[in-house]
Amino acid sequence: MSEITLSELEKQYGDTTAVEDVSVDIRDGELLCLLGPSGSGKSTTLRMIAGLEEPTSGQITIDGIDVTAQSAYERNTSTVFQDWALFPHKTVLENVAFGLKMRDVPKEQRRERAESMLERVQMGGYGDEDPTNLSGGQKQRVALARSLAVNPDVLLLDEPLSNLDKRLREDMQIELREIHEDVEETFVHVTHDQDEAFTLADRIGIMNEGKLIQVGEPTEVYENPANRFIEGFLGDTNFVESEVVRVTDDAAYVETELGYELVLPSDGAPDVAEGTELTLSLRPEVLSIEQDAAADAVEGHEQPVLADGSTVNAVVGTVENVLYRGSTVRYSVSVNGTSMFAERTGTNTGALTAGDEIRIEWEGTDVLAFRPDGSRVTL
Amino acid sequence: MTETATRIPTSLAAVRERIAGQSSSNRALLLMAPLLAFELLVFVIPFFILLRISVAESSPDFVYAEGTVSLEAYASVLTSDLVWSIVGYSFLIGVIVTVLSVFIGLFYAYAIWRSTGLIKSLLLFSVVLPLLTTLVIRTYAFQPLLSPTGTINELLLSLGLLSEPIAFYPGTVAVVIGQLYIVLPYAVLAIYSVLATMDWHVVEAARDLGASRPRSILEVVVPQAMPGIIVATVISFAWSVGSYAAPGVLSNNLTFAIQVEDMMYGMRYPEAGAFSVLMLLLMLACIAVIFTVLNRFGGEFDLA
Repeated sequence: MSEITLSELEKQYGDTTAVEDVSVDIRDGELLCLLGPSGSGKSTTLRMIAGLEEPTSGQITIDGIDVTAQSAYERNTSTVFQDWALFPHKTVLENVAFGLKMRDVPKEQRRERAESMLERVQMGGYGDEDPTNLSGGQKQRVALARSLAVNPDVLLLDEPLSNLDKRLREDMQIELREIHEDVEETFVHVTHDQDEAFTLADRIGIMNEGKLIQVGEPTEVYENPANRFIEGFLGDTNFVESEVVRVTDDAAYVETELGYELVLPSDGAPDVAEGTELTLSLRPEVLSIEQDAAADAVEGHEQPVLADGSTVNAVVGTVENVLYRGSTVRYSVSVNGTSMFAERTGTNTGALTAGDEIRIEWEGTDVLAFRPDGSRVTL
Repeated sequence: MTETATRIPTSLAAVRERIAGQSSSNRALLLMAPLLAFELLVFVIPFFILLRISVAESSPDFVYAEGTVSLEAYASVLTSDLVWSIVGYSFLIGVIVTVLSVFIGLFYAYAIWRSTGLIKSLLLFSVVLPLLTTLVIRTYAFQPLLSPTGTINELLLSLGLLSEPIAFYPGTVAVVIGQLYIVLPYAVLAIYSVLATMDWHVVEAARDLGASRPRSILEVVVPQAMPGIIVATVISFAWSVGSYAAPGVLSNNLTFAIQVEDMMYGMRYPEAGAFSVLMLLLMLACIAVIFTVLNRFGGEFDLA
């Protein structure tokens, strides 16, 4: 178990900056997921912690000791690689015992330890196999056992699940979570898969273009994204362009590309000026679909402010197509020529078909708004 | 309806199977035919002619006495001290050149593998470049370089590293350098071709698990490069033991190939044949040993 501190870490390859000003305290025993699209610098950051990549500037400490100048083999970190990187000319047992051999652990002890690690990852009895004969999931387990066998200060996982098929990947996520709880070590896991990060992580660090944008617990980053990139990256959402037309003490009124004026209620005066362009995020889970649109048509496109201060916004549109996705059904809806989408659970599909007119409603406080530079507007 | 529907796939499968069965044996034979014909014509048949001559009596009128059968050539070769000292010297050259070429070749191939862009191209080009000149001219080029009044001696003298010139040429040092220069490109290419297919992450994994640089190379790179190392070893060894140009041009020493030539000039064809057969058997034994030893080294490098 160890605490890792990255301070102002930077990595440049020639003129390109792969990682820029990354600072984070990784807590003792936590599972931190570095999440970001490919090329966001997450793997490079991980490789710098491992010592496989030398930072251009900045500092890495493990339990307060500066390891920035140490090579990979001097650090007590170990990495599970994306392609697992098992030694093809060694048996499974030799693979798992390799790190112990490098640490001059006596032969008998390393055999015992390697065998118990293989048991731990449910690969007991595979010790004499040739790793090239194993399936992806089995290779993954052996790689994990090999890395855990050396009792590392921190286990670094570089997208180790991305080469597995969906079902196996989901099983391995749960198993990885269990192993993490079991071995009580600090894990840093790199992934580009949001679901994986949400399933695994104690905390998620979101990276984009070499920068670490936000670090927080899964619920925190999902409910309180720091900027528009994170909002778009963490899940599907409707981004709606708008312009502030009126600001009052407790709300901002925006004219949207949907052709409706919407209300953004806020605690106190909103931090926006008239004329500011805003991007609104309407997530499918906050939208509800009313089928009898014709009966309850929104009059004059004005949004009502209810007595209790809550604001229900609503728009009317036409269903363009219906996408059945198993547990949910997604509807593409055209609202005054702009298309957006809403979802219903699969059991609550009603009889909506293309061409139906529907009303989409949401609570005004559930909408997130972002400035043109991507920063979030506090409402 | 149903009958035809089932019959068609069955017969199709049968046809496909028959094609597959034929192709695996016949097509392979057909593809190998030119090579087999070539081998037969320039290696197998000449070798049997050589074998036949080696068991003939010598003759004062011709290179050997036709129609005779005798082991006198073998007796004279096997009891000759000169022959055995030549065998020893040839193998000594072979071992020294092989060790150097595999060792240097491994590092050179590793450097090519790890470099990128222009440096990689330059390193690869510099391996291939010597092959563009003929072997004899390349070898002659070492005479002015290595002679007592040559470039290297002058350089060492002017740097004060030597007080008087050393005669690298003519002699064993020149033979080793010249022969090394001949075989090194092949050793590098043989090892590089294997390294190029290797996954660098495996080396990183070894370092990550606590292996120092030299240890990661010994534990992970060398065992995986073993097929290339075996090829490099066999090429270097066979070529160096039987080398003709380097000892001929760069020394006055007698090696196997030069001695065989002398025997032929002396009209002693049966002896030349017998010596050749002896060398062939010794080489085969050596290569068998090389394969066994290196295979074990690469197979199970060490138990966990």
